[in-house]
Amino acid sequence: MSTNKPMPAPTDISAPFWDGLTRGSLTIPRCNSCGHWIFYPRRHCDKCWSHDLAWHEVSGEGSLYTYTLTRIPTLPDFADEMPQALAVVELDEGVRINTTLVGLAEDEIRVGMRLKPVFDRVREDGGTLLRFTGIDKTIAPKRQAPAAEQPASAAPAVTLVKVPVSDEAAMQALVSESFTAWSNEVVVDQALIDEFARLSGDDYWIHTDPDKARKQGPFGGTIAHGALVQVLQSRLKIPLGFEVIGFTNMVNYGSDRLRFPSPVPAGARIQARARVKRVERLKSGTQLTLEVHTHVVGAERPSVINDLVILYM
Amino acid sequence: MALKGNAAIVGAAQYRPEKYQTAPRMFHLEQVADLASRALADAGLKADDIDGLVINGPQFHEASVFVPAMAAEYLGLNLNFAEVVDLGGCTSVAMVWRAAMAIEMGLCQAVLCVLPARMAPLGPDEDPAWMARAMRYGGHSTAFGAPEAEFDLPYGHMGQNTGYAMIAQRYAAQYGYDPLAMAKIAVDQRSNALANPDAMFFGKPLSAEEVLASKMVADPLHVLEIVMPVAGGAAVIVASRKLAAKARHRGAVIKGFGEHLSFKSPTYAADMTRTPIGPAAARAFAMAGLKPADVDAAQIYDCYTITVLLTLEDAGFAPKGEGMRWVREHDLTWRGDFPMNTHGGQLSFGQAGSAGGMSQVIEAFTQISGRAGERQLKACDTVFVSGTGGVMSEQGALILQGA
Repeated sequence: MSTNKPMPAPTDISAPFWDGLTRGSLTIPRCNSCGHWIFYPRRHCDKCWSHDLAWHEVSGEGSLYTYTLTRIPTLPDFADEMPQALAVVELDEGVRINTTLVGLAEDEIRVGMRLKPVFDRVREDGGTLLRFTGIDKTIAPKRQAPAAEQPASAAPAVTLVKVPVSDEAAMQALVSESFTAWSNEVVVDQALIDEFARLSGDDYWIHTDPDKARKQGPFGGTIAHGALVQVLQSRLKIPLGFEVIGFTNMVNYGSDRLRFPSPVPAGARIQARARVKRVERLKSGTQLTLEVHTHVVGAERPSVINDLVILYM
Repeated sequence: MALKGNAAIVGAAQYRPEKYQTAPRMFHLEQVADLASRALADAGLKADDIDGLVINGPQFHEASVFVPAMAAEYLGLNLNFAEVVDLGGCTSVAMVWRAAMAIEMGLCQAVLCVLPARMAPLGPDEDPAWMARAMRYGGHSTAFGAPEAEFDLPYGHMGQNTGYAMIAQRYAAQYGYDPLAMAKIAVDQRSNALANPDAMFFGKPLSAEEVLASKMVADPLHVLEIVMPVAGGAAVIVASRKLAAKARHRGAVIKGFGEHLSFKSPTYAADMTRTPIGPAAARAFAMAGLKPADVDAAQIYDCYTITVLLTLEDAGFAPKGEGMRWVREHDLTWRGDFPMNTHGGQLSFGQAGSAGGMSQVIEAFTQISGRAGERQLKACDTVFVSGTGGVMSEQGALILQGA
């Protein structure tokens, strides 16, 4: 999970609600004067304006008032939850709550369906969000803590077609308009960003100072160096489906084009895909241009576009 | 409450919608002065006729407080009435009726209503990062203590698209949904834009198939059912009957108005599919002594296709729950039996921030004053105009009638 996602900042008024969630309990205020349930919490009844309220624990069961599936993340940081099932849930007490649905396939979601709460611990300090799932679902929401070093998924296995560099027709046939399948995923966390800042000497605050970046940066938190995301390509195993053989030397000749169109927030997962853009016969050998796109998982816009030039001699 | 019909829109000016990247950058005060001069020239009135000002407070570049006084000083105006309106996309409609009320009450004789919406040159402490930060959560408040910051943002509830999508989804569950009818709203409006050289999408025909094949943003809304933000800005001058008689064009008299709001997030609406335009339009029609069937055209605020559909139903043009069938059965173009958003609507004209709604007010005046060119309606005396702010949160209606 991206660490730049906005988090609740409880106030004196709302703290009992958030404290309740950390204990796995949903509590909401009710008016002692008129019996009206109140959400979101406030210090008066929005029906009769009495200030005589009390917090009550409720079952949290309710029904789906409405929802949408986000095909474009509402914030880049939510790309790893795509599509999000943003929902409005009406509790049996009558109040409505903005939330997300978890553990439901797209075609299982119906307006009016019965739901129950999921207490989703999203922060190490116990910070918990209130999500909902189907009343008969037993599966826990699948939001694991980010594994810092390990790829989040293994590289897909593919059978490699061996292409001799001397076979010009076969080499040209590698050129494709369409991209490969996605690579494995890698988590770009703050520790990795800090390490790269130390190695490269680029310790600009937008990368290394989460507090300042949250307050003053445009992205709500720190972002990875473009150059870091570029070199992480080495950890992303792209299922190219071919292996060029029959050369004596292979040189990374650099890049024809290198762009960083969108940021990678700290904590985000990235993946890559590629296509062979061009194969040229030169005096010095055969030059293959591989267009590699690295994306935050779920994001439509790439974070890195790299037209990598490889020279086979 | 009744109006004497003593206030009319007599002049208007509007920047052609442009992409933000290529539009000129001007201080908002300079845009106010520029738009005011153009609207005044359109009306044929003198600067010292103006004694009232309605202006935007939020998003005013050069100041967040004391905006009317600063603008009066900059323009060189003596004002008997100054007002700031903060009603999002409903602001334009809200400005016009406030101006009309001030005139009807005898406070003033001519009111400038103005909304600058081009970008201003960046100040020394502003940079693109500052802009990006300001835009990060759309219209959501991120301030500590704001319930939105606490109960919406952590889940991804932010901006406008998903709110409107959830309204559409609720509507679908209650009444059924016809994507083709929704696409037809965008397509008919595009037909209108093809007859409006000022529209952003002039010269670019659109088919229902293209709308439905466009990218899904948040189910069930496609990207071509959502307005494109553009740079722009607009002003109108509302004047008394006495001054209107001296104006160059036929005025659009304010015969009725209404306004209604009770929530910011539709999550907390009593019924998400019964929108605030219902009571607002009912009041406007009652004040004017007219029925929906009496209008020659409707200029309906259209940030999304679903906004149009619900306004058609709740303002009383189409029966509740049957809007989609109704849209299929009517031709909404300027040639059709129910001319709607004859300038293309904001969907095809472009949405210049909160000045977007002024495009609907100005189109009503343009049609009433007989200056709509190719898309001019044969007879246009009475026009309904709506405004919508937030996520169907704040809505207003105007009934305008030719003098």
